Amino acid sequence: MITPRITRRTTLGLLASTLLAGRAFADAPLFEADLAAGTLPPMADRIPLNPRVINLPGMGRETGVHGGTVRMLIGGQRDVRLIPMNGYSRLMGYDADRNLQPDILAACDVVENRIYTLHLREGHRWSDGSPFTADDFAYCWTDVLNNPDLYRSGPPVELTSDGVVATFEVLDPLTVRYTFATPSPDFLPKIAAPLPLVLFMPGAYLRQFHAKHQTEEKLAEFIETYSVDDWQGLHQKMSRSNRPENPDLPTLEAWRPRTAPPSEQFIFERNPYFHRVDQAGNQLPYLDRIVLDVASSEIISAKTATGESDLQTTGVDFPDYTLLKQAEKIHPLKVSLWRRTQGSSVALLPNLNCSDPVWRKLFQDVRMRRAMSVAINRAELNKVIYFGLARESADTVLPESPLFKPEYATAWAQYDPDLANALLDEIGLTERGGGNIRLLPDGRKAGIVVESSGESTLETDVLELIRDHMRDVGIAIYTRVSQRDVFRSRALGGEVQMSVWTGLDNGVPSAEMSPEHLAPTMPDHLQWPVWGAWYASGKTEGDAPDMPEVLELVTLLDAWRQSTSTAERALIWDKMLSLRADQVFTIGTINGALQPIVRSARLRNIPDEALFGFIPTSYLGAYLPDTFFYEKA
Amino acid sequence: MIRYIFMRVLTMIPTLVLISILVFLIIELPPGDFFESHIAELQALGEDADLAEIEMLRERYGFDQPQVIRYLNWAGGMLTGDFGYSFEYRLPVNEVVGDRLWLTIVLSVLTILFTWALAFPIGIYSATHQYSWGDYGLTFLGLIGIAVPNFMLALVMMYFANTWFGISIGNLMDRQYLNEPLSWEKVQSILSHIWIPVVIIGMAGTAGMVRRLRANLLDELDKQYVVTAKAKGLHPKKVLRKYPLRMALNFFVSDIGSILPAMISGAEVTAIVLSLETTGPMLIRALQSQDMYLAGSFLMFLAFLTVIGVLISDIALAFLDPRIRLGAGSSK
Repeated sequence: MITPRITRRTTLGLLASTLLAGRAFADAPLFEADLAAGTLPPMADRIPLNPRVINLPGMGRETGVHGGTVRMLIGGQRDVRLIPMNGYSRLMGYDADRNLQPDILAACDVVENRIYTLHLREGHRWSDGSPFTADDFAYCWTDVLNNPDLYRSGPPVELTSDGVVATFEVLDPLTVRYTFATPSPDFLPKIAAPLPLVLFMPGAYLRQFHAKHQTEEKLAEFIETYSVDDWQGLHQKMSRSNRPENPDLPTLEAWRPRTAPPSEQFIFERNPYFHRVDQAGNQLPYLDRIVLDVASSEIISAKTATGESDLQTTGVDFPDYTLLKQAEKIHPLKVSLWRRTQGSSVALLPNLNCSDPVWRKLFQDVRMRRAMSVAINRAELNKVIYFGLARESADTVLPESPLFKPEYATAWAQYDPDLANALLDEIGLTERGGGNIRLLPDGRKAGIVVESSGESTLETDVLELIRDHMRDVGIAIYTRVSQRDVFRSRALGGEVQMSVWTGLDNGVPSAEMSPEHLAPTMPDHLQWPVWGAWYASGKTEGDAPDMPEVLELVTLLDAWRQSTSTAERALIWDKMLSLRADQVFTIGTINGALQPIVRSARLRNIPDEALFGFIPTSYLGAYLPDTFFYEKA
Repeated sequence: MIRYIFMRVLTMIPTLVLISILVFLIIELPPGDFFESHIAELQALGEDADLAEIEMLRERYGFDQPQVIRYLNWAGGMLTGDFGYSFEYRLPVNEVVGDRLWLTIVLSVLTILFTWALAFPIGIYSATHQYSWGDYGLTFLGLIGIAVPNFMLALVMMYFANTWFGISIGNLMDRQYLNEPLSWEKVQSILSHIWIPVVIIGMAGTAGMVRRLRANLLDELDKQYVVTAKAKGLHPKKVLRKYPLRMALNFFVSDIGSILPAMISGAEVTAIVLSLETTGPMLIRALQSQDMYLAGSFLMFLAFLTVIGVLISDIALAFLDPRIRLGAGSSK
């Protein structure tokens, strides 16, 4: 993928016509005092020479006005992590249509999916006004990622290909290059992720906490002040950007933290050096402040319904919809419904690595998985739980994904108890015992213990219905509530027969995104935890898969990782998705579930319909919350 | 007397050691640790956790060490005022608890005072006017107070405050004072908010106390010395004040021991509902997420309060009631 490089001249010309042509553009009123006192340079000197220009009318949105505070509720202090996700300043980021765009970068040149040359924006500054340059990448690479005291086992795996660490060069103060030995198509999606691969850090600020650049006495002093154990802890604490808890840490995000924990309220204020402007020349973000109030997660929906939040996406779920709709009448709120991006809201995951040999053999038999899938009456689930508003589907990509094909969603997702019975008879589960439940070859009852976290009523309700569907085909389902924390270790030990979880995390992928979650890559894939552990650990833990279909998925994933063209990648995705659809490794029920998004009725530029999820849209991130604004009352 | 106090203080030490071992064991009992539950929670939201960072934290805080060593580290740290590290907040426990402790103590003391101020006159009235309409009415109200859980009362009040007045009650101060240093305005703001939780939390306590005072007083009122005093012509009010009331007061004092921890731990659910900046919600959250040092230190703090409370009430009782005095060894 090669992004055409925006030339500085064109952007400058464009800006000149809007900003500098004699028009006194309006800087954010928040900065008036600082500007008058001369402690803050005027806006034209704060933004990069070639800022990222957001063309709002082009997106069907309105040009906004500066000002205002947005209140949000969070369930605990660590939810401040939502701000960098929603702010979503990344080197490259996805837009609302999930196309990759340069954001912090002016441009990115890619050669053979192997050599990535990143071009920074000239005059781009951190939130403290210090310049953002190649030096910040160099600091991160040399002093952090390649420092054995900080990263014991070397740079993160995302920066390696085939086990070889990439090379890093600074070409000039505004250009850096990462070169991989073999194609690494994953690189750009990783830096665009909600929790991105960190490639740069504010070196000028962080060097004071680094053993290489600071005297021991001074370090000891810092360690004492910030009550940490050693300088590694100190550096980690001061540099943490995924949880913005250090108000002094320079950032490139739209809002910078103003509160140091512990606190019951976290205030974020606009970054005066933010690199995006609207087409009229106003620096973004429009909103001055975001205030996060800590409340117990149990009462977030209730508090939202009493008008205590101006923008709420987390802590509210579809069952709260009626409450929130009612609140619309009393408070100036507006509730819209977005679609969740998970491949399935609730999926049954038969553990192919279960330690019971009889059940393992059954689950590894595709007929068993298909039979269970067609035994489920998805239409009923949809009607009972989502008033028929969600979609009945196998666990696969959503129609919003360019990779979607209807047959992925419908494969073995029809309601056909007769077919299920026929398949089960064919496997040899013909004997029936008490309650008309089938008997296993060794004479036991065919009863499956399904483990659920029991946290959401949604899961319990779905299981309740599925239990009846399964009984109709002679399989007993017992629900066991166990804590999520111990799920992984128990699944790895083969103690879990079947679990209930959500389906694919990213239901709206494009061919450029890695299909890693389609193949066993992680021990928390509960349908094949042992195989997942095998690949996650670099073949030291767990066991190698022995099912040919699973091995094929692994081969396809490897092929994707070596691929060099979009067409090739799309083909691989197609193969993997068809294989999964046919093999029913995970049994999906419903997807495209609805997520209430609550906002103040005066807040504009928030789409009424959109996709909601962690990856790839980074919750609100892809919809540019920096363009949200309050209309004048 | 001094010997008695000394012995009582001395027995506190093994008690606290025993409690600390129990607390540690109980916290360690559930399978998994904070990091497991943290990862699981993120996964439930469809998010990834930064596994490398978690692995580093896990190693740093000695999760690979045997239990005994971890216990000694924790207990030893507490003696020097280091209560360990909260994984959830990524801060030392001391810093996390901070202001909340003071707010909790203020709230608790006010609640106790409120309870006493209300329960005392009502209890006396009910006992001296037994089976009157006033007694029945107050008993009825009191039983409702006992029967309705605090958090329920809080929810009902919140609902009506919202639907009738369109206001939101809850919190202990206006939001703008949250991170401010203590000032007169902040104190005023706290005072204007704190009465709601005080009334809600104090309600059940008041009802219970009324019933107990009434029962104790009734026991005494029927005793012969009261009849004798009355027969000799002493004014009924003076009789009441001088003898049976004093006897009935013992339970007030002996209650101190249980009131302190109950006030701090008992109000948790209410505190969650009302979003109070007290220690209760923090303790619950720490227990849920297996943030073991935070939870452990909290439980130790509660245990310490109980032990101190019992000590105070024992000493006060010994002073107040001659029958208990110097009973060391035999009755205690």
